[in-house]
Amino acid sequence: MPTRFRQLPLLVQLRDDATFDNFMASEATDPLLSVLQEQCAGAGESAVFIHGAQGAGKSHLLQACCHRSGEGAMYVPLAELAAYPPQEVLSGVEALDLVALDDVDAVLGQESWEVALFDLYNRARQRGCRLVIAADGAPRTLAVNLPDLRSRLSWGGVFHLPSPSDHEKQAILRFRAARRGLDLSAEVAGFIVTRAPRGLTQLLELLDRLDHASLEQKRGLSIPFVKKVLTW
Amino acid sequence: MPGVSWQHCIDRLQDELPSQQFNTWIRPLQAQANGHSLTLFAPNRFIKDFVSDKFAARINELMAELEPGQPVEVVLEIGQHNGAAQPAFSPPAAQAISSPPPTDMPPAVSGTAVGQYRRTQHLAASQPAPARPAAVANPRRQAEIDGSLQHQQNLVDSYTFDNFVEGKSNQLALAAARQVAENPGDSYNPLFLYGGVGLGKTHLMHAVGNALKAQKPDAKIVYLHSERFVADMVKALQLNAISDFKRYYRSVDALLIDDIQFFAKKDRSQEEFFHTFNALLEGGQQMILTCDRYPKEIDGLEERLKSRFGWGLTVAVEPPELETRVAILMKKATQARINLPPDAAFFIAQRIRSNVRELEGALKRVIASAHFTSKEIDIELIKESLKDLLALQDKQVSLDNIQRTVAEYYKIKVADLMSRRRSRSVARPRQVAMALAKELTNHSLPEIGDSFGGRDHTTVLHACRKIKELRETNSDIREDYKNLLRSLTT
Repeated sequence: MPTRFRQLPLLVQLRDDATFDNFMASEATDPLLSVLQEQCAGAGESAVFIHGAQGAGKSHLLQACCHRSGEGAMYVPLAELAAYPPQEVLSGVEALDLVALDDVDAVLGQESWEVALFDLYNRARQRGCRLVIAADGAPRTLAVNLPDLRSRLSWGGVFHLPSPSDHEKQAILRFRAARRGLDLSAEVAGFIVTRAPRGLTQLLELLDRLDHASLEQKRGLSIPFVKKVLTW
Repeated sequence: MPGVSWQHCIDRLQDELPSQQFNTWIRPLQAQANGHSLTLFAPNRFIKDFVSDKFAARINELMAELEPGQPVEVVLEIGQHNGAAQPAFSPPAAQAISSPPPTDMPPAVSGTAVGQYRRTQHLAASQPAPARPAAVANPRRQAEIDGSLQHQQNLVDSYTFDNFVEGKSNQLALAAARQVAENPGDSYNPLFLYGGVGLGKTHLMHAVGNALKAQKPDAKIVYLHSERFVADMVKALQLNAISDFKRYYRSVDALLIDDIQFFAKKDRSQEEFFHTFNALLEGGQQMILTCDRYPKEIDGLEERLKSRFGWGLTVAVEPPELETRVAILMKKATQARINLPPDAAFFIAQRIRSNVRELEGALKRVIASAHFTSKEIDIELIKESLKDLLALQDKQVSLDNIQRTVAEYYKIKVADLMSRRRSRSVARPRQVAMALAKELTNHSLPEIGDSFGGRDHTTVLHACRKIKELRETNSDIREDYKNLLRSLTT
């Protein structure tokens, strides 16, 4: 197929953004999900802290919170914004209904960021703005220099988001594929999970590529097709 | 209708952009349609500039496509869609200049029309803002000054004396706070509360404010965090409104400032605060200040301020002891209408010992999982829902922790463990603590000796041997050691 037609299939792809609906819940994540949904409805905790390893689904949940809150929510990827002046990035955001701070660990240890986050906590609490915070470790284990911030991080609910096992990853992959209208058999999912990078993020990126290719070439997801597309 | 089209535009952007980008830059925008113009309010300049730079062209394109025949002017502003002033005297300087105009001005006059956006403004937030000319004494500026100051009378209603749990650790502070609530501006002025984080200083401060408000509903009680005071002052200086700032703070009936340690090294703010402080003191207006340490220990704070802080009453708030922690948990559970059995409360209180905030956080988690699983709260459920927290604690047995636990167990003071006293009632617990330290931590014998008031490592060695021997021969010691080991490790 000529390269210039490659973009056409994009238009019929199903949107598979990070929402609560396409987060695959498990028994371990149920309490957290219910707390987060309360949070998005403006009830429950003023701040919720989620910790878990990379690829556990923290960013997904944070974005799902923004999605659920609708207009007036903001997702703040701190790892990407760490180089900017913290006071400017965070100024005025407490006027929103919900602010989701991702990768807090990326800015801890920098005094200006710690003070700015602490200040945001206070402002958010005063204005009733809900915070959802994610980091790779529990508040006690993080390298926070400012004790005031450390104690605030553990103020609301602190929840651990466990990393999915390989078996769960397969299920997630199939679940997400189904959301996109793709038929992914257990066998093929198993094949992908065994060979793909460990992180769920990378795994879902592969799904993206497979989705494109499948639409473009009008082929189902078989092992030979996956091998060909991903050049394994 | 630009408003309706904006909804469609959002939909399209959501399709086009990665979820993360959409949630970061587009979702926080709040739209307000006005005739043929659409104002998009960003929470701050940083977001506004980024949107202008990266998405403005696409937004314009989409709006033109969605509103054919009726060109919509899209304007980016900083603020909120109800037209309220900039939320605070909030930090960066540049924001003042592009705050939303009053409704009687056409939006495009002060905003940046998306189509006309110039690249030179890219991330201008990191550069100092041009000073605002002093002569521009217009209603907009006044609105901004007033708006910026008014938001600060924030007392948290739920912080009252009634729901403050009294214990040994805080009874002096509580008594002083009650006294101040009854006789504001009198002898305890300023009331200076200090102590570690999460121990209830802010609660007490608000409780006084709420009590004062109850007695005199029109009283002007202003609570703010010291960072806010500094930020407000900076903004007042930029707006050339320092006299409004002074007038405002000097007109309050009571001024409550939290965490004044953040004044450290901010000389201009200290200077201003010093004058405010004196004016309020002279006027007999009550001041309550909190800090994480004793005033004299704040580095980077002017001597004259330190000494002024000591003029009233300085009280420490200590970490709550076990019984108080249990009482706090029971009270919080009652407030949440949850049945928390006493043994479950003890279980949590024994393990979470650092501060009230953490205690509250742990309880919230337990409540959330009880709620979710529809189970009664018991020790099993607590262990399950606080699994990671408790596991973490296992790894975190510190010398400090051991000393505190042993002292609490034997009902003596930690200071006794460090002291030179050699009476049996102190020496035995000290030896037990040393033996536990050797068993549970990786510290060397000299380090352990050091942490017990600078003792020699041979003393520690002797203690370990002695306790080992006693555990075999003396059932009391055996029992004590077992209990302590359990409470430190489970």
